[in-house]
Amino acid sequence: MRTWNFWLALWTGKIAAFTLKLLGKSGTTLPGFLAYRLDRDIIKHLIPSFSDGIIMITGTNGKTTTANLLANILKTAGKKFAFNQAGANLVTGIAGALLQSCNWKGKSGVRLALLEVDEATVPKFCTEANPDIAVVTNFFRDQLDRYGELDTTIRLVKDALPEKTLLILNADDPLVAYFGFERSRVQYYGVDRTPDSQTESREIREAKFCPNCGQTLEYEFFHYGQLGFYYCHNCSFKRPQPNVLVNRVSQEPDCLKFSIASDTYLTVLQGYYNLYNSLAAITVARQLNISQKDIEVGLREFIPQAGRMERFNLPEGDLILILVKNPAGFNQVIRTILAYSKNVRLLIAINDLAADGRDISWLWDVDFEYLGNNERMVYQVVCSGLRAEEIALRLKYAGINSEKLVIEHSLENAVGILLGNRKIDENVFVLPTYTNLFPMRKLLQSRAESVKISHSGNKVVSSEE
Amino acid sequence: MNLNICHLYPDLLDLYGDRGNILALSARSCWRGIETVVQRASLGDKLDFHNIDILFIGGGSNREQNLLVQDLMRRKTDLQAAIEDGLVMLTICEGYQLLGQYYQTAEGKKIPGLGILDLWTIAGPKRMIGNVVVETPLGTLVGFENHSGKTYLGSGLESLGKVLVGYGNNGQDKTEGVRCKNIFGTYLHGPLLPKNPDFADLLLQLALKRRGYIEQLGLLDDNIERLAHQAMLKKLIKN
Repeated sequence: MRTWNFWLALWTGKIAAFTLKLLGKSGTTLPGFLAYRLDRDIIKHLIPSFSDGIIMITGTNGKTTTANLLANILKTAGKKFAFNQAGANLVTGIAGALLQSCNWKGKSGVRLALLEVDEATVPKFCTEANPDIAVVTNFFRDQLDRYGELDTTIRLVKDALPEKTLLILNADDPLVAYFGFERSRVQYYGVDRTPDSQTESREIREAKFCPNCGQTLEYEFFHYGQLGFYYCHNCSFKRPQPNVLVNRVSQEPDCLKFSIASDTYLTVLQGYYNLYNSLAAITVARQLNISQKDIEVGLREFIPQAGRMERFNLPEGDLILILVKNPAGFNQVIRTILAYSKNVRLLIAINDLAADGRDISWLWDVDFEYLGNNERMVYQVVCSGLRAEEIALRLKYAGINSEKLVIEHSLENAVGILLGNRKIDENVFVLPTYTNLFPMRKLLQSRAESVKISHSGNKVVSSEE
Repeated sequence: MNLNICHLYPDLLDLYGDRGNILALSARSCWRGIETVVQRASLGDKLDFHNIDILFIGGGSNREQNLLVQDLMRRKTDLQAAIEDGLVMLTICEGYQLLGQYYQTAEGKKIPGLGILDLWTIAGPKRMIGNVVVETPLGTLVGFENHSGKTYLGSGLESLGKVLVGYGNNGQDKTEGVRCKNIFGTYLHGPLLPKNPDFADLLLQLALKRRGYIEQLGLLDDNIERLAHQAMLKKLIKN
């Protein structure tokens, strides 16, 4: 029931959003935060307006990219929807996004909501919003100090998903696929062998044991991390047959190309993790009866956002910005960086603030040894951020010559060093953790603008909070 | 000259970047021309403790503690003999807890430990999470802790050092870790050894001494290690 708290919350939120707009600022988190403070059930009260459906996207990695890809597909198909952009995936961000689509009477102009939801927020969100579709991307070890252990997170999410919700699950991740075990409303997506699938995995594996019976899980092969073709000897749990299956993949120099049945898709995103993100978006789009043509175009014309393989044209040459936040994601980034078979120059900026994860021991679970094994391709690594020394130390023990490591805490100086030394035939990557991402983008944008180099074909999405 | 390092249960206890500790031990040996062989061993695997120079057990979730204790119990006599003989052991978080008498769960159930050291752990209501600085006779140690178990040392046991920042063994008595013969137990991960090169070298030195090599370890260029250590001290200890 909508109470006076709700109306107060709604109007406060609207006024805050309106004021921010007058000040020329964007952002939904502050209005959402205020509204949530005044009405803890604000999400529940706004949800009934979205009668065409609530789509929730959760999982450790790929939430933002999957949501953005799907948003682009939906836009291509002419759909209108509420959307919590820029990874504002906690209660306040979600409330803010819903609020933005609602008018002063609390009625929404759009009927569909596409929401990225942080794993820890899933239980609250599900109780209040009863999502129609829930996408679960994968589970990897992330910022342990925020949630305690991965097992707890998985149980929390699994137990929260309502019976009537259609689950869209990654078939190749046993931790995710188990959500669909003995459940009827499920659609799976998955990948056949990729050129890089291996019978042995050297990366850390989360799913060593069958999530159903606890026996050791066997693998025919691995795509990356614990993703692959798995089965349990002891019980009937195994990789489910995907409803949407990628059967051919190739990593082209400037894009990823893959096919589902006889349809071919392209995306400028790189790396197999983005193949899964694309696949998740496609699977949802099919459920929503979006045409194959709109899906194909939406995917192909997608422009990466804020630090998800975002390219900057600087006077010194191009560079690519990629957010790093946990071992599984970082491993994929390292593989992608070396896949170009060109010499590389890197800037890695590690912070240990709450949003980055206070415990940075995860850096030692990243397979930097793969970089160390290709040491001659690495020209220089500028180590920056609050924990610059730690990443330098990690790289030293991974086999990168100390002389190639520069420690510079200030992001601005670090960028200066990186660009001051670059040669024309090198690939340059900037890899920040979360709290370094936005300051870094700002720096790179101003460097790009100060010389009036046009961002052709590279529209950078405007400011986030 | 070579050293055998055994990483016990790397598949079950691997939550906190512990492979960094193994990397530090082998790299610091290798840079000095000492060859190392790293053996990864798990439940049921054959182990010869007399051939092992450094035994490492890391941190994980408490879920598997039962399994691990069962597995280790079968090996207890051999392990104890090797410990008497000077086996160097580094145990962290759960690895440290399971050397003790028992682990008492939040429900009050006592899971027996290996009983090699007179210490015990009681599950606490809140997790002790954050950066740690410990003062030891060897200098400071820096690391990160994340545990809800509170560990108490019996009267005959010495701690590894005194907590300057953080919680340590139990958040009450300012002790952190344990040292007994060549066994070291601690809550510090992060991982511990790369940022605390003197401590890493102490383990190597003790292991070599047991094999009869008594010369001092050669000096290394520890510039980055010291910077990482100092950065943490500077961040955490405000004068």
